[in-house]
Amino acid sequence: MTLRTKTALILLAIVSTAAISMSHAQDKFRLKPGAKGKVCLTCHEAFKEKLKLPFIHTPVKAGDCSDCHNPHTSSSGKLLSENVSRICFSCHEGIVPAKARSTHKVVTEGNCVKCHDPHASKNRNNLLKAGNELCFGCHQRIAKEVAGNEFKHNPVEKGCLNCHNPHGSANTASLLKSDVPGICVACHKPDTPSFGKQHMGYPVAKSNCSSCHDPHGSVTRGILWGKPHQPVANKMCNQCHLDPSSPEALKTRKAGVDLCRGCHNEKMNEIMGRKRVHWPVVDKMSCQNCHNPHASRENNLLKEPQPALCGECHQDTIERLDRSAVKHKPAAEGKCTKCHMPHSSNNVSLLDNTSPINLCGACHDWQKHSTHPIGEKATDKRNRNLTMDCSSCHAPHGSEHKRFMWYDVKMELCVQCHEQYKR
Amino acid sequence: MRSAMKQIMIASMILAAATGSHAAEPLKFRQMAPIYVDGKGAGMRQPESVACRGNALVVADTGNGRLLRYAIAGETWTPSGEIVLPQLPSPIRVDMNSKGEIFALDGSSRKIARVASTGEFLGYFAPTGDVQGKVVPRSLRVDRDDGVYLLDVSAARVLVLDPSGKILREVPFPKGYGFISDLAVDDGGNILLLDSVRKKVSKVAKNSPEAAPLGESLKEEAYFPAAIATDKQGTIFLVDQNGSGIVILGPDGSFRGRRLSMGWKDGFLRYPAQMCVTENGTAFIADRGNNRVDGFLITE
Repeated sequence: MTLRTKTALILLAIVSTAAISMSHAQDKFRLKPGAKGKVCLTCHEAFKEKLKLPFIHTPVKAGDCSDCHNPHTSSSGKLLSENVSRICFSCHEGIVPAKARSTHKVVTEGNCVKCHDPHASKNRNNLLKAGNELCFGCHQRIAKEVAGNEFKHNPVEKGCLNCHNPHGSANTASLLKSDVPGICVACHKPDTPSFGKQHMGYPVAKSNCSSCHDPHGSVTRGILWGKPHQPVANKMCNQCHLDPSSPEALKTRKAGVDLCRGCHNEKMNEIMGRKRVHWPVVDKMSCQNCHNPHASRENNLLKEPQPALCGECHQDTIERLDRSAVKHKPAAEGKCTKCHMPHSSNNVSLLDNTSPINLCGACHDWQKHSTHPIGEKATDKRNRNLTMDCSSCHAPHGSEHKRFMWYDVKMELCVQCHEQYKR
Repeated sequence: MRSAMKQIMIASMILAAATGSHAAEPLKFRQMAPIYVDGKGAGMRQPESVACRGNALVVADTGNGRLLRYAIAGETWTPSGEIVLPQLPSPIRVDMNSKGEIFALDGSSRKIARVASTGEFLGYFAPTGDVQGKVVPRSLRVDRDDGVYLLDVSAARVLVLDPSGKILREVPFPKGYGFISDLAVDDGGNILLLDSVRKKVSKVAKNSPEAAPLGESLKEEAYFPAAIATDKQGTIFLVDQNGSGIVILGPDGSFRGRRLSMGWKDGFLRYPAQMCVTENGTAFIADRGNNRVDGFLITE
């Protein structure tokens, strides 16, 4: 065979392979004529009923089952031709905006089927349930609050999608369609007399509405958050802010902690008089580090529930607690203030009691008749400047060992001090 | 000729390998005798700060509401006095100037007491000159020229003062900071700021008006770094309070390793609060949870 013949044969082989591949791509399973859209239903008969539903996924409608499923074999469940978390994105690529500021967790996890039926549904967009019922399936706390609210927010009643994007929002937090206050003032026109009256004449058109109002409705008139700050509830904004006629009406009368001191002087003196202050109390943001000055859904106007709030700074402690196999109950329940004083304390770690034994004793009365020596007269054998207390053996937040001991009781704990028994 | 070239190449490779491994090797902490007591044998309680300058060591024995002085000689130390002042019931940060005067921040009043080397209260040290707004110091440092640096959390800034307290300049905290807990000043006059929440170090170059990030976030290397110190080589030490260890960074902020771990016995730490490093490379750590000051010789 000459070189020219050999080259011609190789070229022919390449062209043939390419042609076969292309024809496979167009009809990769080479179904019999007329079989498309019918052959799968010969076995999957139940689908015939499903296809009578009003909203059918486009490939299903076209009978292209093999767009998503491989009829022969697959390494993904339900013979899907790609992993379930990625397959939808092969067609719906741009469903989440690039560099979205907020995304719906189920979407980023590829859990599209938590909301959509991939084949057909009686609801628009193949949704599993219609309207808010679908969202409330997961967002149960909001569902409960919305159901119990005396003062409803009309758009919520009509549907979550009035304000939220279900997949992701390019420029806004919380999947909102546009930023606050823009989304609010689209309905609540700030230039109307009633708006001005409701806000005591303060120029709040560019303020953060959700600082005072619960966008999902409330038990409080004016859909203020459930626990409003007393001056807000009494419409006494000028107690903290300059007069509404002032050029800088929204400016507070004093800065930081000095403003709060105006009413909470006694509390402030108590806080500032102790030996150890929680430093955020005296920093630039001061009280507002933890408290919302207008209204909150939490007690004491806290911005968030305790573990989330404390975890904003003490993330390491919360993460370590999450990893602990055995957790101290108050820590597990997120009740940080059960042991720690949030503003200041005379004790180390802002503990609520000078004696760790008495602190624990507030809940654990059995420790008073504990047999192991503890207290001021029982020196810790590991360290002559320490006496035995509960934290000599127990990690106060939690640990990997039984009864949240620092070490394994059988092999490590006791021999820390009683070295003669070390094996 | 070829043989000589080969020998030079091998020698170069060995040298390069040795230098490389040397650079990668983190510093070692060799344990010295810890300090448990004052001159009368009374134990420390929750010490939160240490300062070292020349041969002097000052300890803020916070839980006992006093300052303790020690004289350092090589690897040994001797108690040299106790200072108890009504103006300083809860000392939480200390530093010293070249005259041996002590600057001690009180946790209750959040004022800085200036104390003579003899123990006499010289008055409260507060910034003078054109200082805008309230000042609440969280930490302080005295540099080798006796300039004083205050970490003012109330106005989110560092105040740079001359030895008399007159304000020279102020530097705002870095943008997007979480909580700045401590500062250090290296021998070159650069200010280092420690963000305990973001777990980041920022550097204010000498005479620069602003702080710039130094290295990456140390989220993987530290739990809750609460204090920062440097040595004369510019090595940075972070006291990881909740991680009971010391994180070592190079002068450029690069991670160089982690030393020490949690425990009660000598050589271990338990919720350490702060540290200082002497000229000859001895580290003293205020080991708050262990009621003692630990001493370590830092070696390569």
